Amino acid sequence: MKPKFWVLLGLLLLACLPGFWWRPHQEAVVRAQYRSELDPIILVPGSSATQNRFNALVKELNHETNTTHSLLRVEVMTDGTLKYSGTLAAGDDHPFIVVGFQDRHDGYANIVKQAKWFTIAFKKLQATYHFNHFSAMGHSNGGLVLTLFMENDLAATQTHADKLMTIAAPFNLEEADPDVDTPMFKLLEAGRQRLPKNLVVYSIAGSKTFTGDGIVPFDSVNRGKYLFQDQVKGFTQITVTGANANHADLPENQQIVGLMRQDILP
Amino acid sequence: MQMTQGWGSWLIDLEVRWQRNRQITAIRQTLRLSFPFVLLGSLAQFVDEAWLQTNGYYYQTLHVAKWLFQLRALREYLRLISAGTLGLMAMFMAFGVSFYLVAPSTERIADRLLAGITAVISLKFFNVSRGSVLSLQPVKWVSTNLGLTGILMGLLVGLLVGNTYRWGLARQQRAADSLGAMFGITSSWVLGAALLGLLWISTQTVSLNAAFVGLLRAPLQLPHFLLGLLGVSALTSVYQWLGVLGPLTISGQSMITTQNLAAVLDHRGWQVPHPLTLHTIVNVYAQFGGSGMLLGLLFAIFLTRGACRQQRVAWLSLIPTLGNVGAPLMVGVPVVLSPLLGIPLLLAPLATISVSWLCVRLAWVPAVAYPLATGTPGPLLAYLGTGGSWPALLLALVDLAISTAIYYPFVKWHRLAQLKEGGAHDEA
Repeated sequence: MKPKFWVLLGLLLLACLPGFWWRPHQEAVVRAQYRSELDPIILVPGSSATQNRFNALVKELNHETNTTHSLLRVEVMTDGTLKYSGTLAAGDDHPFIVVGFQDRHDGYANIVKQAKWFTIAFKKLQATYHFNHFSAMGHSNGGLVLTLFMENDLAATQTHADKLMTIAAPFNLEEADPDVDTPMFKLLEAGRQRLPKNLVVYSIAGSKTFTGDGIVPFDSVNRGKYLFQDQVKGFTQITVTGANANHADLPENQQIVGLMRQDILP
Repeated sequence: MQMTQGWGSWLIDLEVRWQRNRQITAIRQTLRLSFPFVLLGSLAQFVDEAWLQTNGYYYQTLHVAKWLFQLRALREYLRLISAGTLGLMAMFMAFGVSFYLVAPSTERIADRLLAGITAVISLKFFNVSRGSVLSLQPVKWVSTNLGLTGILMGLLVGLLVGNTYRWGLARQQRAADSLGAMFGITSSWVLGAALLGLLWISTQTVSLNAAFVGLLRAPLQLPHFLLGLLGVSALTSVYQWLGVLGPLTISGQSMITTQNLAAVLDHRGWQVPHPLTLHTIVNVYAQFGGSGMLLGLLFAIFLTRGACRQQRVAWLSLIPTLGNVGAPLMVGVPVVLSPLLGIPLLLAPLATISVSWLCVRLAWVPAVAYPLATGTPGPLLAYLGTGGSWPALLLALVDLAISTAIYYPFVKWHRLAQLKEGGAHDEA
């Protein structure tokens, strides 16, 4: 054998060494980098709205994009069981999943409860469909439910949240006075450091009058910056005015549908 | 010189006769001329992909991000280097081939240069931003597909243009007429190519090179059976041999690869739903050192005696080849358009695919499911892809040995052919 042959063999071995050394850590790295094909968009309606709240929105979004995504609706009962309607089409990697609650009353205590119910539904969905990343949109209190979930329970599910859009989420409830902190805001603020670092957040405020969308005061939505800024990868706040800018109409507002298509849909 | 009998001597004769052909000579001279650029570009590409990108082998295993500063600036620098060298290869080829074709016909350097420049301009007329021309905006040139995948296109344009100049030069009687003849040919090429280019962009939406690459990619479908895998590999080898050196990716592969990975991560045990695919067989067991098992060629060259151009090229191409960047060896030896080396280029991957397919099919070796880091040394691909299976590593080493054995006789004959040729090209 020629000496140069051994040089080549030695170099090949040298190049292989880091691979052998790294091998025991490989599985953890692969798992951390792995993203499932399924990447659902989870929608959470606000208080007093049912899991059918977003039917029109989904129809509109499907109408405007080239691919039609399926729609699965889940209602979480007060005892933690789930009621499904709609379908999740095979081969659809970005389906819409709406999570609504049987007890859809407003109020601090109930929103915290809804966040826990959401966690139950999320875990069951994840066990059934094997996704490990997702995007989410919450209207009104639905935005609070999603934020609470991401602060408190997301890490345990080992799932990655990619994008979150909150539409008129009242981070300080209906409190219009900037000097008053409601218990909800205090709770959210206390957990803000647990928000996922790679999350991209869009917070949309509707502006009917100069102070709010008719129900949620602008200052309450504006509080989002104290939660997300410097905690997540990106935080964008958008104010929408014009036709359909009052609180209840926001999910069907054409500008917001456009923003969802642009920022949340893959 | 030891005389080789039978097949060997016949092949050597074929190689020598082939190399003496004027068109082939011009192409080989151009390939050799481009070697320094290809080598530099490949090195830059290797460092960028394997050391500085997140899915690079050394990046992951040596935690480059933790100790290297200015990573981004370094990446920008290296990408610029590879874009300036590998990225413009088609133009380089068109120029070189046309230049070398005309060289024996005229002693005037200006005429040779003119032939080369005309070839470059003609090629560029087909790689221009469609929108900018049709909307009467300032014209923008397009450089995608002028890289390694465009080498064949460059060669063809070079041959076309160069031969017209040769024809024109043969027609003229006295050297004094040269100016007139050269002007005639140059202007007809520029005017003609511009017209054809305009015709192309007004009827087609993609550049000629892109259409050409698309055409080449068309027969590459997603196979699962042995014959399909062999077919894709053979076709890839033929393209490589013709000078289409860039990667020709096949769509649909990523979905199957993701499904395999999901199955391994979601369930206990190593159950892979698609064990026999391009990814699990061809990419892992038949592309050491770049497609065509060029690592086997490198080993074979290092096993042969004596110093010659082959050896010098092999030494210089060592690092890129270990990182699976095969372009320097293809261009430097050159393997491109060499009938003698084309045979093992075709056969070595076919042999390793067959052996590996059998081993995976019979479940002696698990199928790879983990993502493969760019720049992983060939024989380690299977080991890391299966999460550390020793049988997979053993199979990879057997494949390396097989490919080296297949290349070995051809490398020896190729050397004899070079010696017979007189080493005249070494000086070229």
